[in-house]
Amino acid sequence: MSVEPIVDLQDVTKIYYKGDNEILTLDHVTLQIQQGEFIALMGPSGSGKTTLLNLLGGLDTPTEGRVTVCGQDLSLLSARELARWRADHVGFVFQSFNLLPVLTARQNVELPLTLQSLSANERETHAETALRVVGLGERMDHRPSELSGGQEQRVAIARALACDPNLLLADEPTGDLDAKSARDVMHLLKRLNESFGKTIIIVTHDPHAAEFARRELHLEKGVLHMERTR
Amino acid sequence: MRLVWLNLRRSPIRTALTVLGTAIALGLFCLLEALLNAFNAGVEMSSASRLIVQHKESLTFMLPKAYASRIAQIDGIERIAEGTWFGGLYEAPLPDGGKRQEFFPNFAADMEPYLKLYPELIVSPERYEALMADQSGCLMGDELAARLGKNVGDRVLLRPLIWPNKDGKHWAFTIRAIYTCTGTFDRAMMLFHHKYLDEGRSFGSGQTGFYWVGIQNPEQFSEISAAIDRLFVNSPDPTRTMNEKAFNMQFLSMMGNLKLLFRFIGTVVIFTMLLISANTMMMSGRERTREMAILKAMGFSDVYVFGLLVGESVAIALLGFVLGGVGIWALINLGDWNPKPDFFPIFKVPDAAMYSAVGIAVLTGVLSGIVPGLAALRLKAAAALRSI
Repeated sequence: MSVEPIVDLQDVTKIYYKGDNEILTLDHVTLQIQQGEFIALMGPSGSGKTTLLNLLGGLDTPTEGRVTVCGQDLSLLSARELARWRADHVGFVFQSFNLLPVLTARQNVELPLTLQSLSANERETHAETALRVVGLGERMDHRPSELSGGQEQRVAIARALACDPNLLLADEPTGDLDAKSARDVMHLLKRLNESFGKTIIIVTHDPHAAEFARRELHLEKGVLHMERTR
Repeated sequence: MRLVWLNLRRSPIRTALTVLGTAIALGLFCLLEALLNAFNAGVEMSSASRLIVQHKESLTFMLPKAYASRIAQIDGIERIAEGTWFGGLYEAPLPDGGKRQEFFPNFAADMEPYLKLYPELIVSPERYEALMADQSGCLMGDELAARLGKNVGDRVLLRPLIWPNKDGKHWAFTIRAIYTCTGTFDRAMMLFHHKYLDEGRSFGSGQTGFYWVGIQNPEQFSEISAAIDRLFVNSPDPTRTMNEKAFNMQFLSMMGNLKLLFRFIGTVVIFTMLLISANTMMMSGRERTREMAILKAMGFSDVYVFGLLVGESVAIALLGFVLGGVGIWALINLGDWNPKPDFFPIFKVPDAAMYSAVGIAVLTGVLSGIVPGLAALRLKAAAALRSI
């Protein structure tokens, strides 16, 4: 019996328009990713990695082709439905953490949970669990300014995990971190993939970070060139 | 709501300054409304069943006293009282040798029919008897008596500004009664017997300033007014009869279009407040473009992000209302603060002004939050994240 892929890109093209210029960012990309995979998306700057990630997260729409994630053709959803779908199915981790500075670690993690029909107590329990999973059980009431870069990124990962998404998308998650913190974050992502079965896709320039993934995809000028599986 | 509150605390000084700016604007609005209300107090306490007959030219022209009996014969008239604006200045010696001067409304009136025409003035029966028994006695509002530190039996000296006394001295009165009142009637007036004025003044004998006329049916106001004026149309002293409200409005119109002036000042102040608030919100919105994009990436809807910015803006405006509007209301309505009690016997912020102020606060909040809110609403998360 064939298993339906969690991500199915069919002949996806993305063109940006800057004035009269067309910028081809993705060129007829076709890709399937199975549930539970850990993918590293690599390539030089401007190769279309982040665009691909945004398409998978429903933050952007393709110029041509079809993007199906978690069994849902994203082109069929309105902006409001897409927002709701993201809240239920996707967790984002960004290079510069992007925690809300006015909220504590716990409150930052609770934030996406406010979109779910949960009581305040349930939200708090979920947030605390997510923070313990990333090893920050002791720093729940600290604000981002009171945390190190590595800890901030772990809070961001806990926030992405809080709603128990099917898919975790990370854009350069180690880009702003020192080598040790970067390694810690990659170990954490690997553990989330292996122990909790999370499907994870990271965009990275860093070959050391990419080594944690089980499959590497290389993009160049919007074309998927090469795959490597460990 | 919690996020709105936390975001306001993100730049406490900026938020505090914006709230303060809004508070000053709304406080000033409430103060202007209190002033307008004070000017209008005489108009508000007018009764539809009372008419005023004055000289057709102006209130400064006098009418013959003989008109009273002719007016009283017109059908539908219940009673008539003559009255003259006295305009005396209160003077009392001060311990340091100086003079305390106070100005307040003071009239000579035909006391018996006047008090029947104005049941709003409450005088105890004993005090009424005492007042009627003393020709130099006067009736004073309780607020005025308190302001002057006077009580029943005390003497009051008024320096005449219009009606000199025959002996060239100040006019002397004895307080025989102090009135309280119902509703918003002016409690800072002084009234005395017209006969006392007639006998003491050095000119103007046989003349009166105007007549208060009580009518049985307020709906007959037009016909009775016309009938009175017709009686004297060809006489040397033609009359102009108006209802009490129109009469009181004359005093306001003497000061020009105060309402327009005050409203103009209020509008300018509120527009300035709108600009300050809008500027703050636009800065705040621009600084947080990335955060808005992140919220959208997390699954928050466009409307939620819009509401967050507009909510912050409305919260700032409402805080300003509480600080400025409610602050001024408490100072005036609870603390009885009055910038010029002799000029504004009734000085309160009306309830309608408070409703308007809260409405203006909400509207200003929405308007100043709408530009950054719409920018956030239209923000494409992918583009915003890519551009930063």
